[in-house]
Formats: sequence, C-alpha cells, structure tokens
Amino acid sequence: MSEIAEAVAGGRLPGRLWMYANYHCNLACTYCLTESAPQVPRRELGPTRMVEIAREASELGFTDLGVTGGEPFLLMWLPQTLAEMATHLPVLVLTNGTLFSPKRLARLEPIRGSSVAMQISLDRPDPDANDEMRGAENFAKVVDAIPRLVDLGIRVRIATTVESIEDAELDRLCALHRQLGVPDEDHVIRPIVRRGRAVDYRLGVDAQRDDLPAELTITTDGAYWSPFGPTVHSGVVGTDLLITRTTSPLSVPANALLRLVEARPPGDDMTLNIR
Amino acid sequence: MIAVTAVRLLAAADAPLLAAPYYRGGDPGPIVRSLAHVPELLEAAMPFIGVALGPSGIPWRTKELVIVRVSARAGCRYCVQAHTAVALDAGLTRDEILALRLAHDFRQVFTDPRERAVIAWSDAATSLTPPDPQTRAEAAEHLAEHELVELTVLAGATLMLNRLATMLELPTAPSTLARLNELALA
Ligand code: SF4
Repeated sequence: MSEIAEAVAGGRLPGRLWMYANYHCNLACTYCLTESAPQVPRRELGPTRMVEIAREASELGFTDLGVTGGEPFLLMWLPQTLAEMATHLPVLVLTNGTLFSPKRLARLEPIRGSSVAMQISLDRPDPDANDEMRGAENFAKVVDAIPRLVDLGIRVRIATTVESIEDAELDRLCALHRQLGVPDEDHVIRPIVRRGRAVDYRLGVDAQRDDLPAELTITTDGAYWSPFGPTVHSGVVGTDLLITRTTSPLSVPANALLRLVEARPPGDDMTLNIR
Repeated sequence: MIAVTAVRLLAAADAPLLAAPYYRGGDPGPIVRSLAHVPELLEAAMPFIGVALGPSGIPWRTKELVIVRVSARAGCRYCVQAHTAVALDAGLTRDEILALRLAHDFRQVFTDPRERAVIAWSDAATSLTPPDPQTRAEAAEHLAEHELVELTVLAGATLMLNRLATMLELPTAPSTLARLNELALA
C-alpha cells in the first residue's frame, strides 16, 4: 500500500483528487473563484492528461475524482474523457448546467451507465434572485436540464452557493430539487469563498489553508492544496495554496501534500534530492 | 526607486505552502521571493545554496573571494553589490574588494599565494575551457582536492545565482545600496 493509500484509508488525507479541466465559461458569475468568462485564457488540461491523472490517482490510492473549471462541458471531448476516467475511479463533474440543449444531451451518451455524476449549481428557488449572481436565463436552463439528465440515468447533485439564505427560501429550493428528481442527500449548500471575482464584489468568507480540506487539485499551472487554491484574481492565478509546479508524476505533489498535512520536515518525501 | 523585475517577487501573502517557512523571519529577499514561484525548486535550492555559499570547512573570507570575483566576471550587479557588503563583513578591505571587482590587477593587492590561487581558479571557473596548466599547478600547490571541489561548486552555484539575478533583474536592498554608497562601492 502506498503512503497516500494508507493516509486516505486512515482518514488523514481526503480521497478525492480534483482537476481543473479548463478556465473558460459561457457565464461570468459575480462570485466566480476563477474570474471565468468566455474570453479568458483556457488553461485546458486536455483529454490525454486527464485520463493519465485518473490512472495515476487510482494507482496512488485516491478514491474519487472531481472535475471542475471553468465550465467543463464547453470542451467537446469531455464526455468521452469522463467515461475513460471513470474506468479508473468514480468521477464527480461540476457544471453550470446551462449547456444541455437536446443536441448536447445526445453527446452525453458515453457517460450513461458509467460512474460519472454531475454537480449542478442552483442557488435560489426563484429565477430573478438566482440569475442576479449567475446571469440571465440561468435558472430556466438549469431547471429544464436537470430532469432530462436524471432521465438519462445520470446522477445529479445540486450545489447551492450562497452568502446566506432564509429558511423559507431554502425550503422552497429543496422542494424544487426534489421535484426535479434530486434527493436530499444530493443537495449541498456551501458558502461563497472570497477569492477571485468574489473579492471585487466583496462577497463571501475568507478561507485560509486550514479552513479548506486538503484535496489535491491539478491544473495546468501546478498542483494545489484544494480546488479553492488555483483561483484567479486580476488575471493572475493565485500561488498562496500552490504545492508544486510539478504534476507528473502525480506522486510528487501527492507526497508533498501529505508532508504538509502531516507537517513533516522538508525532503522527507523525496527519494532523490541533493541535500 | 521603482524596481522592475522580470517576474513578480512573491510577497508573504502569496507565498506557496512549501515556501511559507522561508518567509517566517520577515522579507526573505528577492532570490527566495522569485524562486518561490516554483516551490519544489526553492525547497531543493535553498539547502544547496546554504551549503555551497554558507559556512563550511573553507573560511568565510576565502568563499567571499570566489563569490565576489565570479559575480564580477559574470557582470552580475545584484550579486556584486550584495556580496560586497558580505565581503566587508568577512573582513575584506575596500581595495581588496575593488581588485576582486576587476578595478585593479588582483596580484598587486593580494599577496598570499593561497588567495591568489583561489582568485585565479575563480577566473578559470568563469571561462568556457578547462583551467590552463599554470592555474592548475598553482591550485594544486595551495589547495587540497576537497577544497578544489568545494570552490568549484561554489563558483558554479554563484554563476547560477548570477544568471538568476541578472535575467530576472533582481533589486539590491536599499539598505545595502546606502551602505555601499557611503563607501563609494555601489
Ligand atoms: S462560477 Fe462557475 S458557472 Fe459561474 S462563471 Fe465561474 S465557472 Fe462559470
């Protein structure tokens, strides 16, 4: 058993490994951690690399994969890649859920029956309140897409990202997700984290390293402590939660993360090092 | 003064997790703040730089002869200025430092044959060819094998830092510049 597998099995390291598939998005939400929008640099990991990371993650002893962005489904190759990744480990892919027109739904064929689940953002039970942060038509598209995805046999989770929500509003939101075919255990509520564009809009809560689970996160810019690490502000990718620029072999950032988690001395994870 | 470096010098708030320990004592200086962009490189480089340039079996003064000389030959403003200050602390005189900085013939200023051999070896280390027979003979006469190895690695580590500081246009600390200006050594 690798050290990573032992740490995951022992509950000392989270089992999920994240990848940023890309950084561009069809939306431009006010609280976006990555300042995503249609024209930003794409920073795509690419299908080959994503499958390779999935394989390495499985070999090292991670138990789950997460894919985020940007909006991953802007990448035409994504469904096939997710299906290949899911042959190694179960995958949760985060999406804004606005791109599932009937034509695009047909392209999801490769992930039907695979262990790929989707997590779709839905913040409010009313179109106006929801779309204020996320952009026009967002609510209508998401509410339209979710039952269609559920009908395809795809497991859908709903993520609600809010500063605060009244009980009555939350009750209506929960009634809505149940009606859309998403059970309570697949509804997550999380705070806005003040990074990226949320800084400019003065939204959310500050999060330091120890507020965030140590979920290894791979991007084109390197490996990070958490998916909240490789955020973008004023066009610059953050470095405060960077672990290493090296991401291949995956054992380099994974062992460095474990060393940070266990506060072990530098060099402890390196088999070949000049010192 | 507006320092324009080729890359951002990462502040403590932007320091990557593996780099954070280097910021605990305050501003770690532009070498750490630039290397911090690649934390795994910083983590490997700093212990190496510490052993190569820091206290070791070779006297401090001797090591500064190499560092100032190599940096001057490599035309590195940052390292020459930073190590002029260190060389003063190590007991070198203004004249000695100026000779190391190519202002005079070093053989007019340095009379100790061992120090002359060290400086000649440093000069050879900045050329693209192996040392000439005379430099090699002088070194063999005055320096032990392990000293030759260590001084050569010191020259190489200095050249690496020279390239880093020159290419990235690292700024000299204002306090160092003020001190050198007082002695007309800036
Ligand atoms: S929060 Fe998500 S959906 Fe909104 S702009 Fe950012 S990446 Fe796109």
